[in-house]
Amino acid sequence: MNKELEHSFVTNLEQNQNIVHKVCRIYTSDPDSHNDLFQEITIQLWKAYPKFRGEAKFSTWMYRVALNTAITLYRRTKRNLKTTDIDTVNFKIKAEEYDDEVEQQLKLMYAAVKELNDIEKALVFLYLEDKSYRDIAETMGISEVNARVKMNRVKTKLKKILNP
Amino acid sequence: MDELELLKQDWKKQEAVLPRLSYEEIYQMILKKSSSIVKWIFIISILEFIVWASLDLIFRLTGLNSKIMNSSIEIFSFIGSLLSYTILLYFIIRFYINYKKIKTTDSTKVLMENILNTRKTVKNYIWVNLSFFGVLMISTTIYLLFFTNEFQGDTIEYTPIWIVIVSTLLVTIVFIGVIALFYRLIYGILTRKLKKNYKELERLEL
Repeated sequence: MNKELEHSFVTNLEQNQNIVHKVCRIYTSDPDSHNDLFQEITIQLWKAYPKFRGEAKFSTWMYRVALNTAITLYRRTKRNLKTTDIDTVNFKIKAEEYDDEVEQQLKLMYAAVKELNDIEKALVFLYLEDKSYRDIAETMGISEVNARVKMNRVKTKLKKILNP
Repeated sequence: MDELELLKQDWKKQEAVLPRLSYEEIYQMILKKSSSIVKWIFIISILEFIVWASLDLIFRLTGLNSKIMNSSIEIFSFIGSLLSYTILLYFIIRFYINYKKIKTTDSTKVLMENILNTRKTVKNYIWVNLSFFGVLMISTTIYLLFFTNEFQGDTIEYTPIWIVIVSTLLVTIVFIGVIALFYRLIYGILTRKLKKNYKELERLEL
């Protein structure tokens, strides 16, 4: 029974692991922290899994647990946080896919997102994942109106970071 | 905003360069232990219960208690013990209920509220305990000094009363101070990030 549960969980997570990796990308800046956070999210997902009854899609359920772990439960184990300047943001983009100007703009954007606080990062993440405001509001536990208002503020803040 | 739309398009492309873990690697992860904030709050709280309970036990076993017992204040001591165990039991139950409520599948806001409630229960427990200790210490001293013949005995014959009072007060204050500082440090470190994020989310509601 337990083995069965383990197997179904690991299979599900293996197939949907992109979601967790993307949350780690938003919240961490170096491979070690990325792995740490991935580990903690996996444990939290596994702990909650017996109660997961398939009433929602596995992926939808994952968004919530993964973000909650990143925002509320995760403690950075390393004290010496590396400061990430723009160049070290390790999003490898194939050079031929973009012209230099676009690539530069993207780099700046990713760096700007890193400067947001944990809650704002969650909003941006869900927005980038193409979630509706209704989904965003439900995940965060705020009203839809507030989710919209806040998202607009985040956009303004990003603009300010980009054009100081 | 053009930039964010640009980012959104790029975000989808990023999937291709994300790390990929194997079945075996993920399986190894679920065997490991969590190091979440909640777990630490839980461990520390359990330790607190143990420390306070064993302090009480030591107090009884070392005979310190029986010495007081001899001073005809049995009822005083009995009420004290009864009260402290009622407090302990109440907080253990409250704490357990709070802890059970913490679920990562709740919305972020509800989850944060539940964690902070657990934290608040522990904090209340500490303050109740410290005040209880202080009141007990001071009232016992006053009782011994003014209502019994304890201090008219052989050893402390020449100790002026004011020295006894001042030293008791000092010991009590230092003891409470050290413990309070200790808790502030531990929980301060553990919940700083949580509190900051919670405030941020609260601001959304305004």
